[in-house]
Amino acid sequence: MSRLRCATAFVGVLTLALAGCGGVGGGTGSGGTGGTGALTTMGFGLPDEIATTRVDTFRRASPDVELKITEGAFDEQQFLSAVAAGNPPDLVYLDRKLIGTYARRGSLQPLTDCVQRRKVDLDQYRPAARQQVTLDGTVYGIPEFYSVRVVYLNEAVLRESGLTAADVNLADWAALPALNAKLTRVTGGKLTRIGVDPKIPEFLPMWAKANGVELLSVDGRTPHLDDPKVVEALTTGLGLIRGQGGWGRFSAFRDTFDFFGAASPLARNQIAVWPMEDWFLNVAAKNTPKAELVVKPFVDRQGQPLTMASGSAWVIPKGARNPDAACAFATTMTAVDTWVAAARARAEARRAAGLPFTGVYTGNVRADERIFAELWRPTGNPRFDEAVQTIRSVQAAAFSMPASPAGAEFDKAWYGAANRVLAGQSQPAEALARAQQEATAALDRASR
Amino acid sequence: MGTATVPAGRRPAGVVPARRRPVRPGRSPSARREARWAYLFLAPWLVGFLAFQAGPMIASAWLSLTEYDVINEPRFTGLDNYRQLTSDPQVARSLGNTVLYTLLHVPLVMVLSLGLALLLHRVGRFQGFFRTVFYLPVMTPAVAVGILFLLLLNTQDGLVNRGLALVGVDGPSWTTDPDWILPGIVLMSLWSLGSTVIIYLAALQNVPRDLYEAASIDGAGRWARFRTVTLPMISGALFFTLVVNTIASLQMFTEVYTMYFGNRETQNRFNSDAATFYVIHLFQEAFQFLHMGFASAMAWLLFVIILLITLVQMKLGNRFVYYEGDDR
Amino acid sequence: MSGTLLRRLPYLAASTGAAVLFTLPFVWLISASLRPREYVFGTGFLPLPFAPANYAEAWSAVPLPTWLFNSVLVGVAAAAAVTISSAWVAFGFAYFRFPGRDLLFGLVLATMMLPFAVTMIPTYLIWSELRLTDTQVPLWAGNLFGSAFYIFLLRQFLLSLPREYFEAARVDGASYPQLFWKLAFPLIRPALLVAFVFEFKASWTDLLKPLIYLRNEELFTLPRGLKVVLDRFGYGGEQQWEVVLAGSVIATVPMLVLFFLAQRHFVEGIATSGRKG
Repeated sequence: MSRLRCATAFVGVLTLALAGCGGVGGGTGSGGTGGTGALTTMGFGLPDEIATTRVDTFRRASPDVELKITEGAFDEQQFLSAVAAGNPPDLVYLDRKLIGTYARRGSLQPLTDCVQRRKVDLDQYRPAARQQVTLDGTVYGIPEFYSVRVVYLNEAVLRESGLTAADVNLADWAALPALNAKLTRVTGGKLTRIGVDPKIPEFLPMWAKANGVELLSVDGRTPHLDDPKVVEALTTGLGLIRGQGGWGRFSAFRDTFDFFGAASPLARNQIAVWPMEDWFLNVAAKNTPKAELVVKPFVDRQGQPLTMASGSAWVIPKGARNPDAACAFATTMTAVDTWVAAARARAEARRAAGLPFTGVYTGNVRADERIFAELWRPTGNPRFDEAVQTIRSVQAAAFSMPASPAGAEFDKAWYGAANRVLAGQSQPAEALARAQQEATAALDRASR
Repeated sequence: MGTATVPAGRRPAGVVPARRRPVRPGRSPSARREARWAYLFLAPWLVGFLAFQAGPMIASAWLSLTEYDVINEPRFTGLDNYRQLTSDPQVARSLGNTVLYTLLHVPLVMVLSLGLALLLHRVGRFQGFFRTVFYLPVMTPAVAVGILFLLLLNTQDGLVNRGLALVGVDGPSWTTDPDWILPGIVLMSLWSLGSTVIIYLAALQNVPRDLYEAASIDGAGRWARFRTVTLPMISGALFFTLVVNTIASLQMFTEVYTMYFGNRETQNRFNSDAATFYVIHLFQEAFQFLHMGFASAMAWLLFVIILLITLVQMKLGNRFVYYEGDDR
Repeated sequence: MSGTLLRRLPYLAASTGAAVLFTLPFVWLISASLRPREYVFGTGFLPLPFAPANYAEAWSAVPLPTWLFNSVLVGVAAAAAVTISSAWVAFGFAYFRFPGRDLLFGLVLATMMLPFAVTMIPTYLIWSELRLTDTQVPLWAGNLFGSAFYIFLLRQFLLSLPREYFEAARVDGASYPQLFWKLAFPLIRPALLVAFVFEFKASWTDLLKPLIYLRNEELFTLPRGLKVVLDRFGYGGEQQWEVVLAGSVIATVPMLVLFFLAQRHFVEGIATSGRKG
């Protein structure tokens, strides 16, 4: 008997706890600018001088704040457990594409006040980044880095096949299979060189956009996954991979690549043409300065430059105990002077090590302008200098995946479709139709 | 207390002794005192059960009737989540994968572990060394196991396919071919069978030697001794591992999660029906899609499925398992 | 002696074969952790070129000794708590006959069946209400109440003990706790060691609990620390897998040493209780 009562009482307490912790009010600002007290962060780490220099800048600017950085990448369970218990960190560092979902659920504080108080000019952030931290006109995050995609070409391989960089035209989809066939190499039944890597599924949104359609409407609510133009984009990518022996062989070969080392596929001539994030230029400059690397913009089917941008942002969860200091931290970390100081530290470190400085790409236009005006010097390697200019030139031509109330489910739907097609389980049209259904259901549910 | 010496030949080999007359839980004072003591022994578990098992279980049962995103208060939606369970094809697919995995994993682990345990039982003083070797994979952090097997199972350069090539077999695409992802996961799971081996070994050590001697005198051959002495005497351990491994396989999560879902990059790259196990789908619903209510309903469905399977196993187990101190 | 050795030879050979098979992935891992970055994903078994500096880099980047210490502390507390409490409860289930026993035992089993993902948040809320998050208490204190897996395991072992022992001791006037502590406990020592090692291993490799309960880096256990290493040097950083692998090996090796040490006691425990006839 008593056991039962005890259990009931216990569940009662629990229910109260659940309900009580469900809606936690946001902290109210006390008007200070630098902030005081303890400040806890989640999802951030201190891997390099870019991070440490900026954190030091904040410590100097706000000596009264007791900063506690819990290192490690953002983790959903960690974050949600803390939110459920009404004990969230003051600041969270996460991928910008996650902001839509959390903001829609009301777990993030609008930064309107913070931005006003700290006199932050939102125009200094790149539009593609700003779009990802804004939901229905309200800003929920301060953008950090800004990563774009460009096309890398290995001229040594091109020359071997009797081609030049000018012969590689990603606007002409009809000619891609022939180009791919010329560049691909198979030795003894094994794929030993990738010709053209479409980077599907990851870059499917960029191929679709090149074909004139976005996977998700700008308001993040209507998927366009079954659009014939998306089907065409996926079919084109699939064709390139089939031309290299199919997905199993292709991805197994690519999995053995070490893009970060001196024995990168670029150095070993294992790949000819591939779109990839801009950071690879930094890595290549460090590890393979002699490589015959050419960087071109990714282009749409009319030949216009096009790129997809992504990156992280700082957000302040509802229930944060120290939103003032959090606001000070987020805005200090992303201020122009702070970025420039961090870039200077990196430039000095690189030069001390006898390596070229290839720049830092932030979500802050003005910071980038100063970094490249004040710190960046031609390295004496025209290939890398030209590449830097190319990357800078495409940054304005960027789009990003819009903030969506069901971002994770949306991603799962189209990644799943692309993977089924690559694995040969499904045809592009059929797979994308199923993805459209799944995405529509998820978005409907999230918008209810 | 004491060093127990049991009269030899007390138990006839391979014959289950006649069951003792059941002692009715009667109303005698001694029975009541015994029951009081029993509850005293059970007390720690009862307290923990109420606080950390029953509470959260009931909470999850209640949450399964709500829409709950962890961030906002739960909203009561009746049986909506359960209706959706029956119509969600992902649930059926992931359940199918999980059951198939269990049907492959459990028998393989039991047979291989028994084989290894019988080997180790006979290697004398080297046993400690070998036992450690087989247990070693179990102690490797799951993250390392996941990374390791992604590389070992690589189609082109992986150790597994290189080994297969040595015997003239052209290995499959373990990590990308939907038909081979599950077998690849089973292969990985077999690397960590050390726990089961250790349980069998401990059980084998507990088989009294006099039983074998008695059986030998009766003219039983090696196979007959195994069948009439070893198997009945370790049937408790076999049964234990059957039940526990089944429960664990149906909840398979960590290794597959680290291998194919460990971070967003791998998650998206390997996102496929073939690697989606039930608890992984549940986990995504709960923490990535913020459908904690639906995830709770999924958990209760799994709970009921496991419960039914275990009950069937227990029923069958009672017929085959031999307990020395059996008094029921 | 040589006669027995000869008889054991086929078994030894087969065991060695299986052992080699099981060791290969591990050899590869250790060897890869000792290679420079560009050779990590090579396929050979030799750590060539030899790069022990990976370990120095992992060691100097993060407070591994602190995490090592925390892991040992939490692991011992978790394993000791669960072994003793589970044995106590298992004795209750194995020895006594009382109303509702089978039903209660069914409940014990049932608790193994509910996926952790769903009880996780309610459990977190309890520890949070007790103001014990961001301490190491939630990592082991739940074990004071026994755990279904070990209760089940130890009950199986207790049931295989002849009841006459206990009845004889009862006649001699031993109390129930004495039966448990002086008779049952020593007799199931191999099983207790199995439970201790299993739980120590579980605690040693658990990432989820430290991840959600701990914020202070000083309190981290090794797997939580490994996640810092992984995020800084792996996917989040420049993918210096050699450092990640070196960290993984550092997180595994103490466990091996401990296991080798415990091995002797394992053997003793089995030797004393196994030879009953």
